[in-house]
Amino acid sequence: MSDLTLKTLTHHHKSDKDIFFQIDTFISQLKRRQITGSNDVGMATAHLLVRFVSAARWTHIDSLISDLRLLGKRLIAAQPREFACGNMVRRVLALIREEIHGNNENGIDNKGLSSSSPLITSMFNLLSTEDKSIETANNEKKTGRDLKPYIIEGIQELIEEIRNIEDSIAGMSVEMIHENEVLLTPSPNSKTVLEFLRRASQKRKFSVLVTESFPNETEIAHAFAKKLAKAGIETVIIPDSSVYAVMSRVGKVIVGARTVLANGGCISASGIALACEAAKNHKTPVLAVTGVYKLSPLYPFDVESLIEVGNTGKVVDFSDKDMVENVEVMNPTYDYVAPENIDIYVTNIGGYSPSFIYRLVLDHYSSEDNKL
Amino acid sequence: MASEQPATSQPSSSASSIMEVSESFDIKATYLKFLEDDKEMTMPVAAIETLVTLLGITQPSTSYELIKILENATQSLKKSVKNSISLSAGCDLFMRFVLRNIHKYGDWDSCKRHLVANGRLFVERAKTAREHIAENGLPFIRDDDVILVLSYSRTLHSLLLNASKKRIRFRVIVTESRPSNKGSLMAKVLREAGIPVSLVVDGMMGYVIDKVDKVFCGAEGVAESGGVINHIGTYQLAVLARNANKPLYVVAESHKFVRLFPLSPSDLPTEFPVQFSITEPEYELERSPRVDFTPHQYITALITDLGVLTPSGVSEELIKMWYD
Repeated sequence: MSDLTLKTLTHHHKSDKDIFFQIDTFISQLKRRQITGSNDVGMATAHLLVRFVSAARWTHIDSLISDLRLLGKRLIAAQPREFACGNMVRRVLALIREEIHGNNENGIDNKGLSSSSPLITSMFNLLSTEDKSIETANNEKKTGRDLKPYIIEGIQELIEEIRNIEDSIAGMSVEMIHENEVLLTPSPNSKTVLEFLRRASQKRKFSVLVTESFPNETEIAHAFAKKLAKAGIETVIIPDSSVYAVMSRVGKVIVGARTVLANGGCISASGIALACEAAKNHKTPVLAVTGVYKLSPLYPFDVESLIEVGNTGKVVDFSDKDMVENVEVMNPTYDYVAPENIDIYVTNIGGYSPSFIYRLVLDHYSSEDNKL
Repeated sequence: MASEQPATSQPSSSASSIMEVSESFDIKATYLKFLEDDKEMTMPVAAIETLVTLLGITQPSTSYELIKILENATQSLKKSVKNSISLSAGCDLFMRFVLRNIHKYGDWDSCKRHLVANGRLFVERAKTAREHIAENGLPFIRDDDVILVLSYSRTLHSLLLNASKKRIRFRVIVTESRPSNKGSLMAKVLREAGIPVSLVVDGMMGYVIDKVDKVFCGAEGVAESGGVINHIGTYQLAVLARNANKPLYVVAESHKFVRLFPLSPSDLPTEFPVQFSITEPEYELERSPRVDFTPHQYITALITDLGVLTPSGVSEELIKMWYD
């Protein structure tokens, strides 16, 4: 247990050792990659947060917020490229802040100028009166004990959101896919894409080209194709190298995302950026299907730092002595897809253009928590 | 330039007393003095300060009078100053603020008192906005970057200074930016801060574009589409950056967002439109437009005090302010 010790978390009761044990277990699981993928990580984080908040005892809501931030920091440090845990913690923080803010709104609504509806703060920041003092004074009064049920309820809703994600996105598939269309998907690892296509196949007849996704997801691609075929969809597996060649016949490219970043770009499995680039060249629309919980408030300042490099043994067998000794082999596991290369994000709350993603970020997160 | 307020060409007879007061008050001189006295002050803030000063002098007794005074003052200020885009953003913001909030105070008198009393506060806040930007923009500048910068901008200056203070090691290429030559000033202040700078002539943009990692510029005004109005040369730099696949970041305070929707640089008001002649006119190069318009599709992101926005975020902020 590094910096989030019993001492730093004084607001938890000493008897709640259980929760610390759970946090540590989760962190080790993250580090050992026993839990991977946005869906599983997001779900596990949400469940941990429920327990964390239930076990927390606080006299002032700020102490809960700082504890949560600390927890978020530790989770992110354990696996910096699993954005889902950071996202979940930030969502919960935004939820709490909104709850406090909501209470304050009712409290000081007749105090005058500054409590004009929270929407209009931005550009008037320059001119409005400073009312921070009132706000903090109000905060002091709210001891926040009564917030606990709200927070837990909010997290439960988040869990529901993740659980139903495939269902709500798949509901839109019929509108997006035409009869007799040829689709291409370079993301065989995405459950969301699978459900999206399956649901569409109930009403439409179309064919899907699945890229082989060498080297990391070849087996997954085969299993994915099998599932599609079982659902009655005409499925073709193509090698990654022929993505450009087939693109002229493709009607839509459907991709999944690991994380959607604030600028409208996304991080997804390797090979997807190539397919999106080819699609752009042929003016083929690219649909990215993703849940809102994958939305991250982070901006890709340094793309290389977001991309993980994986096991090179999958590219070249380690027993191949001549190769291993003389050739440098790389196996990046993710790709960064620029916002210009994606036409629309299909999320559980609707379809959005990449340039609108920043707005979704503002709606779901509070900007003070971007940096935990 | 389309002005936002309905044209009130002649003051009505009931407002004649108001006009007397405001005539004795030289609005243009006050505005220019604010800019002169405080080099750190931006044009929109100076415009707001001017209007606040005017309110302090005129002592209007009804809210109608107050609005009338502000409308007339805004009109005459916009007319008298040549480069009025940036200041009109300030005037409009102030006007809108007054109109929205007059009813929120029980009596409008306390509204006026607040405005007059907080004159300095606005200036301070505008400076804080710049500090915010310096923080928001910090992660965009990374070790070993070569940054191409156009002309001088106070906001960009403070961002680069902040980055250098945080021990980020980067180099800057500054374009000279004729005819204002503000680029030389930028190069000077950055070198004083210990940042390695190369000052290049404007024609060298294309020569250096492959060597830079990202392009930064400031803004005089940010139009509703998210495009920017900035020192001449920004448009060509933006097109060049797009062609070379380099990100272009614009740093601007949110009080520079202005309700204009230019489609091309020629939609901006200018004293010196392009002219042809067979004889050599006097001061030909000095008499050329000082600002141009860069359409939004060339801009990667706007770094503002409200956060990092995509160009479409600008219209949303403006809509929030004007239509709800």
